[in-house]
Amino acid sequence: MTVNRIFVANRGEIALRVLRTARAMGLETVIGVSDADRDSLPAQMADRAVVLGPAQATKSYLNVDLVLHAAQATGCDALHPGYGFLSEKPELARRCAKEGITFIGPRPETIEAMGDKLSAIAVARAAKVATVPGTDRIDSAAKAAEAAEDLGYPVVMKASAGGGGKGMFLARSADGLASAFTRATREAEAAFGDGRLYMERFVEKARHVEVQIVGDGAGNVIHFGDRDCSVQRRYQKLIEEAPVTAMPPALQEKLRDSAVRLCAHANYRGAGTVEFLYDVAREDFYFIEVNSRIQVEHPVTEEITGQDLIRHQILAASGAGLQIAQADIHLEGHALEVRINAEDAERDFTPCPGRLTAWSPPDRPEIRLDSHMRAGDLVPPFYDSMVGKLIVRGKTRDDAIESMLRAIRDFRIEGVTTTLPFAARIIDHPDFRGNRITTRWLEDTVLPALETA
Amino acid sequence: MSLTHSDITALVQLFGDSDWNEMHLKYDGEEIFLSKDPASPGPVPATANAVPAGPGAVAPAQPVPPASAARTQAPAAPEIDRSGWVEIKAPNLGTFYRAPSPDADPYVTEGATVTEDTEICLVEVMKLFTTIRAGMAGTVREIAAEDGQMVEFGATLMWIEPGA
Repeated sequence: MTVNRIFVANRGEIALRVLRTARAMGLETVIGVSDADRDSLPAQMADRAVVLGPAQATKSYLNVDLVLHAAQATGCDALHPGYGFLSEKPELARRCAKEGITFIGPRPETIEAMGDKLSAIAVARAAKVATVPGTDRIDSAAKAAEAAEDLGYPVVMKASAGGGGKGMFLARSADGLASAFTRATREAEAAFGDGRLYMERFVEKARHVEVQIVGDGAGNVIHFGDRDCSVQRRYQKLIEEAPVTAMPPALQEKLRDSAVRLCAHANYRGAGTVEFLYDVAREDFYFIEVNSRIQVEHPVTEEITGQDLIRHQILAASGAGLQIAQADIHLEGHALEVRINAEDAERDFTPCPGRLTAWSPPDRPEIRLDSHMRAGDLVPPFYDSMVGKLIVRGKTRDDAIESMLRAIRDFRIEGVTTTLPFAARIIDHPDFRGNRITTRWLEDTVLPALETA
Repeated sequence: MSLTHSDITALVQLFGDSDWNEMHLKYDGEEIFLSKDPASPGPVPATANAVPAGPGAVAPAQPVPPASAARTQAPAAPEIDRSGWVEIKAPNLGTFYRAPSPDADPYVTEGATVTEDTEICLVEVMKLFTTIRAGMAGTVREIAAEDGQMVEFGATLMWIEPGA
C-alpha cells in the first residue's frame, strides 16, 4: 500500500493543509475542485488540479463517482477526504478500497460504526468507557416517560442518525416530554430520513472535551492530549484550545485513557477524536461520539505536541503504523484557535460572502494561520463560511489569550465581515479568562448581552 | 482623430511589458487585437453567439490543459476561425468517448450535420455513461476532445456551427 500520489477530495484551508504535508513528505498531489474553486490557492498549489463539476457541492465535492473517477484518471493511489463533505461517508472508503485506492482514514466498517450514535455508544460500553446515563432506542412517548423517571429530569431526546444538534429536544419535566418526543421524531425524520430516537440525562453544566488519538488499525492507539471546545453556538464550535485546563489532572488522565481504550477496542486506524461531555458539577465525563476524520481544531493539538497529524494519518493509512510511542508525545504550553467565519455576528451570524479587498495577517512566531485566502480572493456563497483559522501558542493559557487578542487586533481584513472581532470579545470576557464557561455559556450569557448592548 | 503609428508602437510596447495575455482595443472605428498566444482564436466578436446552457457560460472558452500536457509551439499551425461556432462543453469531469462502444463508428465526425437531438458523444463517470446531444441544428466543425481521455467540467468537447 505504498502511497505516491494523493488525491485531495476537499477544498479550502483543509485542502491546503493536506497539500502542505503531502508535499513535505515528497508525495505528488492532485486536487479535485468545483468550478467555483478553479482559481483557489489549493488548486494552484497542487501538482495538478482537475475541475469536477459546477459550484454546487452535490455536483462536485459530494459526488462519490466524480471524485473516484478523477482520482483514478489522474493516477492517484491514495485519497484524503479532509473533513466535512465525503470524509465520513463509509461508501467512499469502501469504494476506494474496491478500486485499489488507499483511503486516508479509518476502515469503512469503523466509519460506519462510529457514524451511528447508538452503535458508537455500544462500542464505548463494550470498552468500559462511561456514557451519559441514557436509553437504547425509544419508540413511544409512554416509554419515554418511563425512562425519564429512571434517569431524572431534565432529559434530552436525540436522533440516532443525528449530528449538529438536529433532532435534539430538551424536556425539563414530565409535562414537556410528549411534545418533545413528537417534535424530535418529526425533525429526525425530516433531517436524516430516520426517526429513531434515544434519551439521555441532560447535563446542566457541561464542557465539551475531546481526545485526539491515532491508531495503527491493529489495536495500538496513542493519544495526543485533549482539547476543550466549550465555546459553541448551535452546537458549532467557535473557539478551541489545548490542553484541557478545567479538569482535575487525575480525571484528565482517566479521560485520555478512556479514549485510547475505546479506539484500541475498535482497532481504530488513522486519526480520530473521541468527544466527551464533562459534567462540571459531578466531576465526571461521558462519551459522546467518535469523529472518524481529521478535525477542524486539530492545529491546537499540533501546536502543543509538535506533531503533524496529517502525516500520521498518511502513515497509518499506508500501513506504516504509528512510528512513535506514547512516550514520544510531550505536551508543552497552551494553544488557542479561533475560527474565522465570513459571518456577521451582529446580524445573527448571517453569512457574508464577497471579495476580500484586504487580508493581512500578523506574522509572529507564536501565530499560525491555516487559511486558503489571499487579498483579492472571493469567498464563494456555496460552501461553509469558514475562511481560516487563527491559532496561537503560549507558555500558559493566559499567555495564549494575550497573544490571540494581539493577533486579532493586528489582523487586517477588509471587504468581507468576519467573526474575528466577536471572537476577541469572547476571549477577553472575564468568564472565558477565568475558564468558568460551559457549552451553554455563549448562547445563555454572551449572545443575549450582545443583543441588548 | 485616429490612432497614429507611434500610438500603436507605444501600445505594443506597453502590452509587451505587461502581464496581460490579450488586449482588444476598439477606438473610433478602429480595432487592435494583440495576443501573446500564437494559438489565440482572435478577437471575440461583440455579437458572439451565446453558449447554450451551462453555468460556465461567462468564462472565456479556454479550458487550461493539465500542466503535464506538453505545449507544442507550432507557429505554422493553421489559424482556425471559430467565429460563429458554438462549443459543446463537458457537463462534469469524466471520460470522453466518441462512439457508443469500442468497435462502433463514432457518433459524429467533422462535417456531420446534426439536429438538436443528435447524439454526439458520451461522457463516462465510473462506468456511468451520459449521452451528450447537439442541442442545436448545425454542422460539426471540430472535435476538440480526445477519444478515451479525461475531460474536466466545462472542457470543450466539440465545436458546432449553427445553421439549418
